[in-house]
Amino acid sequence: MSLKRRDFLKLSTVAACLGATSTAHGMEDFTGWPDRYGMLTDTTLCIGANCRRCEEACKRVNERPMEGLDLTDNSVFEQTRRTDPNSYTVVNRFTVSEDSENPVYVKKQCMHCNEPACASACLVRAFSKTKEGPVLYNKDVCIGCRYCMLACPFRIPSYDYFDAFTPQVRKCTMCYDRIVEGKIPGCAEICPKEAITFGKRSDLITLARERIRHDPDRYQPRIYGETEVGGTSWLYLAGTDFTNLGFSDDLGSMPYPELTRGFLAAVPIVLTVWPVLLTGFYKFSQSREKAEVEAEAAAADDKKGWGDGYRHE
Amino acid sequence: MKKTFIIWPLILLLLTSLGGLSHAFRAQESSQQDASKPPCSDCHVCASPTKADPCLEICVWTKAKAGKAHTPDEGPDVAMLDQLEELYGPVTFDHKHHAEMVGMGEGCAICHHYSPPGKFPPCEECHGDEPSEPQTLRKPGLKGAYHRQCMGCHREWSHDTKCIECHLPSNGVDLASSPLDSTDILGIEHPVITPPVMRVWTTPYRPGPIVTLHHQEHIDLFGLRCVDCHKQENCSYCHDLDKEARVNKTDEEIHAICNDCHLSDACDKCHDTGEKPAFTHAGNGNWELNRFHQGLSCRACHPTGRKIGKLSARCSDCHGGWNQENFRHAVTGLQLDEIHVELDCSDCHIDLRYGRIPRCNSCHDDCRNHEDAPPGEYIRMLSSR
Repeated sequence: MSLKRRDFLKLSTVAACLGATSTAHGMEDFTGWPDRYGMLTDTTLCIGANCRRCEEACKRVNERPMEGLDLTDNSVFEQTRRTDPNSYTVVNRFTVSEDSENPVYVKKQCMHCNEPACASACLVRAFSKTKEGPVLYNKDVCIGCRYCMLACPFRIPSYDYFDAFTPQVRKCTMCYDRIVEGKIPGCAEICPKEAITFGKRSDLITLARERIRHDPDRYQPRIYGETEVGGTSWLYLAGTDFTNLGFSDDLGSMPYPELTRGFLAAVPIVLTVWPVLLTGFYKFSQSREKAEVEAEAAAADDKKGWGDGYRHE
Repeated sequence: MKKTFIIWPLILLLLTSLGGLSHAFRAQESSQQDASKPPCSDCHVCASPTKADPCLEICVWTKAKAGKAHTPDEGPDVAMLDQLEELYGPVTFDHKHHAEMVGMGEGCAICHHYSPPGKFPPCEECHGDEPSEPQTLRKPGLKGAYHRQCMGCHREWSHDTKCIECHLPSNGVDLASSPLDSTDILGIEHPVITPPVMRVWTTPYRPGPIVTLHHQEHIDLFGLRCVDCHKQENCSYCHDLDKEARVNKTDEEIHAICNDCHLSDACDKCHDTGEKPAFTHAGNGNWELNRFHQGLSCRACHPTGRKIGKLSARCSDCHGGWNQENFRHAVTGLQLDEIHVELDCSDCHIDLRYGRIPRCNSCHDDCRNHEDAPPGEYIRMLSSR
């Protein structure tokens, strides 16, 4: 191999630069599909007690078992519930100090992040952000590692622990199948107060801002989900501080995949460049060693020849 | 051949200009016809709106604008909201009581928002059966619209979301056989709204701690409507099942209500060391009303403005239209005889001072006693006024 040391270094630098710029371009400039859909939940409108029709509709659309769902049973509000494999959405009650007589009800489900942490954490790309907005799960490739559940900042994905043979990770699909048919998601359709609105995410942000502007006493001047973890498709309006309603205030506005992007972008470079680099070093040092050994041998030969001759003489 | 080339375009030009002219005339006519309707600029913010770009104001009818000049009687007493029966039966909506009450808040527009000028259409005229879609984000379906309007206040009132507060149970009464009655909602008789007759407060104002409000008097005698004093009170100010009527107004707010009329009055008009007596015209107005005036409302004589001020004591200042031809003197108790009925009023009532009984000797030198030789026949004894 006739690769000179200088040439090798030149080549490897160029390769490294190319790799770095191409990954940076691919990720930074895309701000999401422009017409993607979203949902706006107005917690000041939610009826909550005696209603929970969204939970019912969700189960019906997703063909989840209806057993144990009693809409008139308000004791479910006594504890803050989480989504589970049979309930892709749950309504929780929060009592706020400003108005303790009128509790606030908050519907909880997958937020359908613009840049989902679950998709980033998944080893096999079982999660994908569709151009319509929903984040979808593909059960056919899932290996059941449940990294998605750990990665989710909202603790939404749930696992079929009680299904021994075909367990799945389950979460809200934003009724993707209905959306592509031109229908609106089940919960938005059934809500008697239309506290849940389905529309283009950009329109929903405008709508939410209008509501805040028209009634500043009623609303906090904040749309939860507009910027949280890089923005989510599901947006919330509230009349009290979001931290009173079980929303985390410390998620930041940086998309979670950003946290691992630097590392993950380096992996292909390491995988492609390092073997070449190290092989090169190896070859280089080996050839040098060989040359040294040869030189040494030649020197030894010379010495020997001279000695012999000397001895012969 | 050449001539026709010139003539045809000329004819065409003439025809089109005529068409344009007639169109302009028609436009003028139609604009004259629409003169009774409100001006375009009430809704359209630009000078020349088109169908494609109507440039409508987002919230055309401000609450005050839409709330004026409509009375509760214009709407139905009870409306049956039965378009959307699913889990629950229809709602008998007591429109009349709601309409009577909203005057104390923001008027009809509290529910009838975005109404076109001059009318308040029912909800279903704008809100359709389907919930809002991405294309119609700002317009909820009829079900959403109903629930949003009703539950906003009802939840504040009851602190609950029981459906049967408004809905008939789905196996409920036979609506066809039961006439709609605004006093009977869901089988519960609506309580009669009874304003208090009188209220007395003890205040920290030392020279006169007791304030008396003859509430009924303000309604019956002074002709005030509820909204004249109870302005901008939201529904839950009074309607709260958990509380007695909230009285949490500040001193300034309370004084502001009374000061609408009593601004120029001194403190002791309301504040006293004891309860104030009810209003009498003789006591408060220094003029006892005669039998003709007693039955009148205050506004009949004191029509201008809100403040009830002192009126002239000259009868002709109010009754200027009367003369000897159209005034039936008999109503005073004295039927004038043939001689006296021909006289001008001022012949007997010198200087038009009708408050006094004329004296005979101003005309008749023989000065006989009035009672002995009256100028007619007494039907009733005359009073001094």
